[in-house]
Amino acid sequence: MIICPSCQYKEIPGALFCSQCGAKLAIVSNPDLPLGLRQKDSMTETGSNTTGKPDLKSTSPMMSAGARVSLHLVESGQILPLVERNEFSLGRVAEGQPIMPDIDLTPYKAYENGVSRLHAILKLVNNQVSILDLGSSNGTYVNGNRLVPSVERPLNQGDMIHLGKLKIQFLFSPEDK
Amino acid sequence: MPEKPDHYTLLGLQRDASPEEIRQAYFSAARRLHPDKSGSVQDTEGFLEIQAAYEVLNNPKKRAKYNATLPPDKIESGLIRQKTLYSRQSIPRMKEPQLVYALIEFLATSESKVPPAPPLNLCLVLDRSTSMQGQNMDMVKATTIQLLRLLRNSDTISVVVFSDRAETIIPATHNIELKKLEARIQMLKASGGTEIFQGLESGYNEIRGGLKESHVNHIILLTDGRTYGDEENCLELAGKAAEAGIGISGLGIGDEWNDDFLDKLASLTGGSSLYVSRPQDIQHVLIEKFNKLWQVYAKESTLEFKVSEGVDLRYAFRLQPEVGLLPIESPLRLGPILKDIDLKILMEFMVQAPGSQAEKVRLLEGEFKVSVSSQSEPVQSILLRLSRPVADSTKFQTPPEEILRALSHLSLYRLQEQARREVAAGKYEQASRHLQRLATHLLEQGQRGLARTALLEAENIQRKKKFTREGEKHIKYGTRALLLSGQEEDQP
Repeated sequence: MIICPSCQYKEIPGALFCSQCGAKLAIVSNPDLPLGLRQKDSMTETGSNTTGKPDLKSTSPMMSAGARVSLHLVESGQILPLVERNEFSLGRVAEGQPIMPDIDLTPYKAYENGVSRLHAILKLVNNQVSILDLGSSNGTYVNGNRLVPSVERPLNQGDMIHLGKLKIQFLFSPEDK
Repeated sequence: MPEKPDHYTLLGLQRDASPEEIRQAYFSAARRLHPDKSGSVQDTEGFLEIQAAYEVLNNPKKRAKYNATLPPDKIESGLIRQKTLYSRQSIPRMKEPQLVYALIEFLATSESKVPPAPPLNLCLVLDRSTSMQGQNMDMVKATTIQLLRLLRNSDTISVVVFSDRAETIIPATHNIELKKLEARIQMLKASGGTEIFQGLESGYNEIRGGLKESHVNHIILLTDGRTYGDEENCLELAGKAAEAGIGISGLGIGDEWNDDFLDKLASLTGGSSLYVSRPQDIQHVLIEKFNKLWQVYAKESTLEFKVSEGVDLRYAFRLQPEVGLLPIESPLRLGPILKDIDLKILMEFMVQAPGSQAEKVRLLEGEFKVSVSSQSEPVQSILLRLSRPVADSTKFQTPPEEILRALSHLSLYRLQEQARREVAAGKYEQASRHLQRLATHLLEQGQRGLARTALLEAENIQRKKKFTREGEKHIKYGTRALLLSGQEEDQP
């Protein structure tokens, strides 16, 4: 059998795409057809002027080396690539706030959707991303299940995250080995 | 035919035909052409030719010598050519089941592309139920009138409208008195329920009345609603239509109609269903359908097949000229081959472990039959035999680009199918999961709108335990449309 690199489903040999998650199977070694997100360039472009974190570019390139993490803002269709760090806090910037979130979701109607100023944290450890709710007022949900604050919850490619009512899809392609 | 067909072509055989197959092909041809039976000079000549062919092929020595004189193997029946691509060069000897994909293509041979398109014998079956009122009805009327104007002198047309009963407002005619017919269409008013069988049956009778071998006989059914209780009758009628060489296409407008039913109905005849989400699109979808009917080169192609023991045909999908899932049963009705668009079928086979001595695995054997409208010979047939050698090594083989491309889209369509099945089975978590994954791939392919729809549906399923009708169709036909590479698509 072959094991899908994306969802670990056991596929029948000869399968070219995973029947459970649609990931390409046999062609991982072919550089022309990368497993992960193909439109890396266009996404970096849209990301750089929306994250409002230009200083990220100079920090250590840990996330960008292998694994790629992005957030898909469902309502606006925007994709935010998360690069060069292993930890990101999500929230919105308000006046007089002592600690700023790494990712400011204000442009995506964070306030209207009930996102807290410091809402949640995404962590990348050992090629696996998890999310942690920071005791937000309106809660963090993964695939419809509310998280217990301060308890880490691993994320999989394609998971739907709700910060309050703000819908974000989690996109992840693990480090190629 | 500029070239004389070779002995194999003459008998409708492939180069690797077994002696038994040669014998059978010869007998069946001989029965058809025997001078005692037909008496025409042409047939007598034909009989002598197959006689000569059989004498060569039946003798292994003569056959080998003859084979050496032939140009490289291309499978041809004179008018239709066939090519097959496989996802793997060989099947490794393994103890577990494996998958093999085959992309089978049928195309018009280059010399034979010239003949004029056959005339149409077409019936439009139009839903006039209350729900069609307003823009839908107006667009349908306008488009019907436009189509009448486009018809050629040789074409035959009829128009049936139905609600809970059917009315033939234009009986089959090739004498198109535009003014009169237009007036009849203009007067149409929407009212009543939707009983598809009523309309379909009247349409079938119209086509049946003017049925000609030389024509492309086709029903286009336009509806915006669900029919209740008469689905079985409709499907039965579609079976009859298929037998008679009549194709059915279904065009669903809006979100209320039953796409599974319409798909099934159409696929029984080798047709397919089309989806129009907005009234504005009715026109170009119908005109495009027409253009395809006008381009028919060979019609009513069917594949009678059987899969070998230890092999399972798990999935069959037509990629061209019209995309659609094929019901896996013999004969497969594959629809027409167009002049400029080949017929392409993708099949997924699951192969059990090949025996330790086996040198090759036969996947499928079948006979592909088609009638080429411009030709006097009624039926062309090609023997189709799919097989793969067995190899002892298991090294990775890069599949052909074309198969990869088709599968990369088809796997998305199948995720969607899976989600629908899961919703039907009450597995909402899984369904919603599959849609989320589908959305990530759609995003990669730049399909943001469709990705968003998939995510909204994923959420909807978690909350309400069902798809929205609109979203369900959008995702199905949207992912299906991705399979049409290079062809214009009918999605908004």
